[in-house]
Amino acid sequence: MNPVIAVDNLRVRLGKREILKGISCRLGASGVGKAIGLLGPNGAGKSTLIQTLLGFHKPSAGSAQILGFDCHRQSLDMPENDSLIADMTAVAFLRLMGELSGLPAAAALEKAHETLFHVGLGEARYRNVGTYSLGMKQMAKLAQAIIHGPELVILDEPTNGLDPAARQRMLVLIKEMKEQHGMNVLLCSHLLHDVEQVCDEVVILKDGQIVHQCDLAAERQANKRFVQLQVSGDDRNLGAALREIGAEGVSESPGTWRIVLPVEIEVNALWRITARENLRITKLAYRRDTLEEIFLKAVGHLQPSPQPEVVHGRI
Amino acid sequence: MAVFKRGYERYNGPLTGSATRFLAVPRFVWPKLLGQRFVVILLVLSLFWPLLCAGFVYVSNHADLLPSLGSGGDDGIRKMLSIDGKFFAIFMNVQSTFAILLAAIAGPGLIAPDLANNALPLYFARPLSRWSYIGARMMVLFGILSLVTLVPGLFVFIMQASLASTAWLQANWFLGQGMVLGFLLYIVMVSLIALTCSAYVKWRVVAGALVLAFFFVLAGASQIINQVLRVEWGSLLNPGYAIYAVWCALLGVEAAEDAPGAWESFTVLLLMLAALLAVLLRKLRPVEVVS
Repeated sequence: MNPVIAVDNLRVRLGKREILKGISCRLGASGVGKAIGLLGPNGAGKSTLIQTLLGFHKPSAGSAQILGFDCHRQSLDMPENDSLIADMTAVAFLRLMGELSGLPAAAALEKAHETLFHVGLGEARYRNVGTYSLGMKQMAKLAQAIIHGPELVILDEPTNGLDPAARQRMLVLIKEMKEQHGMNVLLCSHLLHDVEQVCDEVVILKDGQIVHQCDLAAERQANKRFVQLQVSGDDRNLGAALREIGAEGVSESPGTWRIVLPVEIEVNALWRITARENLRITKLAYRRDTLEEIFLKAVGHLQPSPQPEVVHGRI
Repeated sequence: MAVFKRGYERYNGPLTGSATRFLAVPRFVWPKLLGQRFVVILLVLSLFWPLLCAGFVYVSNHADLLPSLGSGGDDGIRKMLSIDGKFFAIFMNVQSTFAILLAAIAGPGLIAPDLANNALPLYFARPLSRWSYIGARMMVLFGILSLVTLVPGLFVFIMQASLASTAWLQANWFLGQGMVLGFLLYIVMVSLIALTCSAYVKWRVVAGALVLAFFFVLAGASQIINQVLRVEWGSLLNPGYAIYAVWCALLGVEAAEDAPGAWESFTVLLLMLAALLAVLLRKLRPVEVVS
């Protein structure tokens, strides 16, 4: 399957500073809706990467392609900051943006109405965009980005300044874009919870380099069978007992175990073994890395294999 | 089906050509401009002089109707009523004043709001280059300024051509050509000045004042240079003079002997246009890079 975004040894220099230092990645899948989260601390180069994909910056080396084209032929951006034509009605604004994206005039008018209803601005579509509230402006920005149904939509902090209900509505719309309409979404956000909710892949940037790239769905699957177990009593034989049922366990400290359960073994088996070994379970929890932990590890704020107590302490 | 009952679907129909998409911009801006009171007042006022000129053309072609100019009338008056390059030079000069005023009113609202609202990324995130953006904005001004320059100018010329004999048209066709070329050059110059002012000043009133100041200040500066250094080339710095010198050459009108010629003026105008374009392109960036 062809990637939507193909970046090869991309270097971007702004003035004397090199912002992107040789980034290479393949993101998304053409024809299949996927959401890719772009994460990183402030100054990591996220915005520069987005702007380079849109053709706003020329790479000093390497290449950035979208659907095989150099930069911004098939993508549409929803900028982070206010970016609107304030003295136009929402319908006229979207119609203009649609026509500039290549829609014939009649189709642009039809799509403008349709898209505004879709993002929840149907009743306010004849109001000037300048009079909109922050949440409505965010929706208008999303609408102008999707009016012509692009293959790739780039969203830069789309939930910024939204109240919880509007934020949820925005996330639902993004999910619909990828699941129902087959669009690829590149989502840049500092809100890890939002990214975790809607994204399938995550790319983490730090100091202009990719420090981590993972498939969130696969990561979730892989981590699902990690179990953290705390017991009281003599647990010297617990390792051998676990091996008997086909599970692997590592004692992290006296009474604390990290266990990898194969898919076919249920958690109930652990209760049976501990009962047999005369151990009392004081804590049993699935232990999977959250996106926050993945992110903190990637940017170096967290040790790769932390002790649970230490993890909690640092977070 | 009503739009609100229908769900969102991705557009899969045919797309328009990428080279002509920028023409959508003027279509959206013209109605707004024509809805401005000052623009309408100026457009109406700008029609009086062409109407007077049209009347003059009519009279010059029907001189026999005037009792004092019956057969064998005064040659001096006949000569005064003749339609020649000087007539069109005066016509263009008056209409150009309205064009500057219109550009000062309409021009500042074209780029400044986009910069103030950070709208440039919306344009440039689409397959629209900076050149297309400038082209779209110039089209807006071209349409409005044509209404006070090219359209009435051609109306007067065609009226004269239709009232006069074929011999007049054969001998004077260059007047029409010169007027069109002269006005085109003028519209490009005024549009670029207005767009550049709009790109650098966010307040419309100040940007409009700057458009007018561009002409008046440079005219004053050129006079100061001429007086202080006792030279004539200072006039080249005056865009009003430079364009008039080019018009005179195009219309076959004799210019002042010791003043800079049409080619020098034309070269200076080209340099001015190139400088304005460079300044404009520098300002039109989708993102600001802070060093």
